[in-house]
Parts: sequence; C-alpha cells; structure tokens
Amino acid sequence: MGAIRNEIRRLRFEHGEMTQQELAEKINLTRQTVNAIELGKYSPSLEAAFRISAVFGKPLESVFHYSGDE
Amino acid sequence: MSFREKSAWISMLSMSGIYGFYFWSVIRSGPHAGSFHFGGLLETIIALVVVEIVLTVAVAIFTPKEAKAPRDERDKLIELRAMRVAYSGLATSVALACFFAGFNPPLLFNANALLFILVTAEILRSACQIVQYRRGA
Repeated sequence: MGAIRNEIRRLRFEHGEMTQQELAEKINLTRQTVNAIELGKYSPSLEAAFRISAVFGKPLESVFHYSGDE
Repeated sequence: MSFREKSAWISMLSMSGIYGFYFWSVIRSGPHAGSFHFGGLLETIIALVVVEIVLTVAVAIFTPKEAKAPRDERDKLIELRAMRVAYSGLATSVALACFFAGFNPPLLFNANALLFILVTAEILRSACQIVQYRRGA
C-alpha cells in the first residue's frame, strides 16, 4: 500500500479545517476509511479518488502521488 | 471503532460463547449419547439470534448514523477477504472430516463435527474482519 501517497490531510486543513467525518460524508465513505486512506493503509478505488479530488477542486495528480517501483 | 467492526466483534464473541456452551454440553454428554439433540441446537440458535439482535440494536442506538450507512468499498473488501479465508478453512476442515469419517465414528460425532466446522468458519470470518479493521487495512 506504500506506493500511493496523498495530500488529503493537508488539503482538509486548507479547506476550512474540514474534518475526516465531513470529508467522508461528502464522498460516501466512512470516517475510518478516510483515515485509512490518509495513513496510506488503504488505496481508494479510482471512483473514490476522483470524488476526493473533486471535493478539493484539484486534479487527481495533485491529491494522489504514485511512487511506482521507487 | 466503526459500526461494522463492532458488529464483527458481537458476532465473534456471541458465537464463541453460545456455541462454546453448546459444544461443551455435547462433549459432556459423550460421543455415544443418544441421537442428535435438535432441541438443544434450536435453543442455541435462538439464543444466538436474540443476543446478536439485542447487542446490535444497542450499538445502533448509540451510533444511529453509522448503523444506517451502507457498507463502503473498504467494508466490502474486508468482508470479501474474510470470506475467502473462512471458506479456505471450511473447505480444508470438511475434507479432513470426510477423511476421519472413514474410521466410522458415531453419527452424533459426525453431525456435531460438521456443525463445529461451520461455526468455526463463521468465527474465523468475523475474526479476519476484526484483524483487518484493527490494522486499518
């Protein structure tokens, strides 16, 4: 799961200190799933990743970073 | 702890306790103790259903929003992984039971052995879900 990093925590704070629960409600996931995504323990589906990016008004590549075989 | 994880804990603990008592009673009766006790098994199943419903409703009362929310993609993935592990255990255990059936154990032993295998698979499924939730997978 370490191949994909994300900026979700930083983006939440930049968007009015959005809580994980608030983000979860916007994207139809549970707060625990959002937490797992932020910690890099769970990689969201493509659809969920797009929904997260849409909440912050950012392109996918700005929110998620794929490190590949690094 | 999410509602789904709490449900898994309820399932695992109630099945372990209630079926544990049932199998302990069966073992105490001995392998040659009469016919299969459907009455005892029915009481066990009813007790399990009642306990699980009561505990799940109690948890839902304190977290109504979570309880009403559908499973998300991670919940479904965790459930699928747990089912896969439980099914592997079930298949292996049934194969072993078939092997030992060749030694002509009493019918009561066979019937309860199969029930034990099924219950163990269910407990294993709940345990796998809990481990995944705890790890934040």
